[in-house]
Amino acid sequence: MSDLDRAIEQLRACRLIPESQVRELCYKARELLIEEGNVVSVDAPVTICGDIHGQFHDLMELFRVGGDVPDTNYLFMGDFVDRGFYSLESFLLLLCLKVRYPDRITLIRGNHESRQITTVYGFYDECIRKYGSANVWRYCCEVFDYLALGAIVLGASSELEPTGPSLSDTTQSTISFDDGELKTEVLNSHGEVTMSSYRPRMRSSSDTSTDSRISPPRDISAGTSQTGPPLRTGAPGTGASSDGNGSASNSRTGAVLCVHGGLSPLIDSVDKIRLIDRKQEVPHEGAMCDLLWSDPDEIEGWGLSPRGAGFLFGGDIVKQFNHLNGLSLVARAHQLVMEGYKEMFDGGIVTVWSAPNYCYRCGNVAAILELGEDTSNGGTIARSNGEYGRSNGAMGQDMTTVVSPGRRYRVFEAAAQDTRGMPAKKPVADYFL
Amino acid sequence: MSSDGRSVRILPKLDPSSTHNFIAPCKKIHESQDVAAFLVSQAYTDIMTFLLQLNRSMFPAKLPDGTEQAWPIGTDAVQFSAPIRQLQGLLSKLEDLIQEVPPNTGPRRFGNISFRKWHEVLEERASGLLREFLPAELLDAPSADPEGPTAEAELKAYFLGSWGSGQRLDYGTGHELSFLAFLAAIWKLNGFPKSEYGVEERAIVLGVIEPYLELIRSLIKTYTLEPAGSHGVWGLDDNSFIPYIFGSAQLAPAVNEADLTPEEGSLPDAPDPGGVAKANAVSRERRTNLYFSAVGFIYDVKKGPFWEHSPMLYDISGIKAGWGKINKGMVKMYNAEVLSKFPVVQHFPFGSLFSWDRDPNAIAPPTTVHATSGPQARPVVPDGGFSATARPSIDAGTKAPWATSGEGMRVPPMGSTAAPWAAARGSGPPVQTSALPDTSRMPPGPMAPTRAPWATSQAPPPPPGGDGPTKAPWAK
Repeated sequence: MSDLDRAIEQLRACRLIPESQVRELCYKARELLIEEGNVVSVDAPVTICGDIHGQFHDLMELFRVGGDVPDTNYLFMGDFVDRGFYSLESFLLLLCLKVRYPDRITLIRGNHESRQITTVYGFYDECIRKYGSANVWRYCCEVFDYLALGAIVLGASSELEPTGPSLSDTTQSTISFDDGELKTEVLNSHGEVTMSSYRPRMRSSSDTSTDSRISPPRDISAGTSQTGPPLRTGAPGTGASSDGNGSASNSRTGAVLCVHGGLSPLIDSVDKIRLIDRKQEVPHEGAMCDLLWSDPDEIEGWGLSPRGAGFLFGGDIVKQFNHLNGLSLVARAHQLVMEGYKEMFDGGIVTVWSAPNYCYRCGNVAAILELGEDTSNGGTIARSNGEYGRSNGAMGQDMTTVVSPGRRYRVFEAAAQDTRGMPAKKPVADYFL
Repeated sequence: MSSDGRSVRILPKLDPSSTHNFIAPCKKIHESQDVAAFLVSQAYTDIMTFLLQLNRSMFPAKLPDGTEQAWPIGTDAVQFSAPIRQLQGLLSKLEDLIQEVPPNTGPRRFGNISFRKWHEVLEERASGLLREFLPAELLDAPSADPEGPTAEAELKAYFLGSWGSGQRLDYGTGHELSFLAFLAAIWKLNGFPKSEYGVEERAIVLGVIEPYLELIRSLIKTYTLEPAGSHGVWGLDDNSFIPYIFGSAQLAPAVNEADLTPEEGSLPDAPDPGGVAKANAVSRERRTNLYFSAVGFIYDVKKGPFWEHSPMLYDISGIKAGWGKINKGMVKMYNAEVLSKFPVVQHFPFGSLFSWDRDPNAIAPPTTVHATSGPQARPVVPDGGFSATARPSIDAGTKAPWATSGEGMRVPPMGSTAAPWAAARGSGPPVQTSALPDTSRMPPGPMAPTRAPWATSQAPPPPPGGDGPTKAPWAK
């Protein structure tokens, strides 16, 4: 067993690794992250996660519900640290997994991955308390500077393969299964379907849906055997046909942009994000700041954010941004939502929140978002990859027909707490000496 | 010891026979460096004086017969004067207002939008409420300048600042501070009867502040208010601070008027500080003690192991030197973590009762680098590797704010390897004990020089903490 595997094992048990190992880990992580672009490309299938905030036991619950690394391909949208009691254990475990399985886990930066924010919101204090010095905090902050600012998920399937038994009394189907393709599904932590919705199946001459039904299903969530029947997806097959306009594109599902906060008035294309010099502390304003701080809101255009950083942006902004960039969805985190996830603006943006019973008191559930792999056309990657300009010109015709990916939300609650022993009291703050 | 033989200073009242100019309070703390000016202002001196005056009054008293008189919540030994009862009436009106504005049952993110309505109604009725429950001669105290405002303008500002933010749907220690200032303003305006030291002070704490805290808890629960600027588990408490001060005083050793305030020890039958981690002790003590009532509220709203969601209170519960020690620490901590923190005090408005003018007796804080949570604060260059200093981005629209705004001119010099706050309390055993300013017992003045605690101590920034959305610490 390598040192790294040992560290992973230790951190999974919620035990910290020695400072020297943290230093080495952070060094390796930086070497890895420096090679990543500001916007990382990630192929579906992928499981997208929101804020963690040091809720280590809930992160373990997330892995139980969503599958382990490397069986499941994960994308974490930042805010690993601050406020919770176990920011160190949580972040160091994710970082170990990143170094161990770099292609199976993607970490992007949240507004809390910052020196200034962590000194105000707890991570700094936690480092001092647990390591007795600020060294580990410094190592971690150096890693923060190298985290990517966003990710583009390519090749997601437009349709979900049904999961299996549903809780019939709570299932709300807008259209019966036979008439539509499964668009959204919500599962509880036991793997039971609590909600599903369908989009009308659009028929056209090239409809291949029948064929797709018999193509082998793909399991997007290996490692979740305890959650019931294997989940299937990636059997859409309807491919370009359901656009209903004879488009020649070989996949109709637009790309998904993942970013911690949201959009920026200074960023009208995904390519503009790629131009940012990201290897720095999060600035107080500007594009990089906005991507990590902004929030969608029921307004038109842009608004001032009550947070004092970033902006509020309305549905028109999202629609236009998605349209111009060939995106079908913006996935973001950054805001507590009681139901764990919240779609806004006709499904053009979704907030994913992965810290259940946030701060021990909010009573919210958490969610993760699974996007399946589009196996039509041999799994060819979608044409819409978020590259600026590609949706102009020849592709213009398609822009209105980009189909959103099928979304499977797994909702979960806070981990049971009765097994955690009481630690010895630590020396008190200087005020009390 | 103050010049009149008491071991505590009393907030001076305005002389009713002399003229005074009231000033409509306005914001003065615009950036974090203004906090230094606040800490040598007359307003700061007055707030600390009033806080310590109330604190000292809550210490149990040695009676002439050799027994000790404690001051639990609900005690018959504290009588409420007419002004105290009027303030209770005011609080109960605000409580009724909750019934009038029930929480919205529709979908919500977290904070309940109906609180905005509650706040709007409060603002509409504020003048009428003050007039109903405060004497007209107090509200209408005129300025010497006939064009100037009356006392009401100042009182109303602190009153309205006491109930959380209707815009952000949050509540924190800044709002609590505003209520303390509201009471201190009434004190200054001779709104409380003259009496022997301690009588009115205890009535203020038990008769007004305690029900205020209960009302706030009710607001927090009803409208799921978020903690203003939350530190999560790393704060003392998500919303409140002063109950920990007055509550620890309630359990500290008894004193005579001339005694120095004890810095350790406890009242003989005081509950063990370790009780805060035990649900049964908390439910027993919360009825009579402000400290335990605050902890009890944490038990009400938080699910999970106490040591995990409240590690700071848990650690403090291990203190062996008694409630006197805890009280002294709480006062120091309040000074450093509430009064010295830009995000907390930035909204505090200054007029004539709480004056931005420099206190001539205050000693200037050292001009040490302080890089927390204010607009001037800037990121730090990390060790080696890429320079993390802000550079103008390739993206024309993206500029580091300090690169172009001229704010860089105000950035103090700092080392190239470490955050200044890290250096200040960095590695090694804590050694700042002696560096902590001794503002814990005496307010700034000739006897007790004030130094900005944050300039030297840099202890953790705890209160409040919790679940609100993160606000930028530099947010105005």
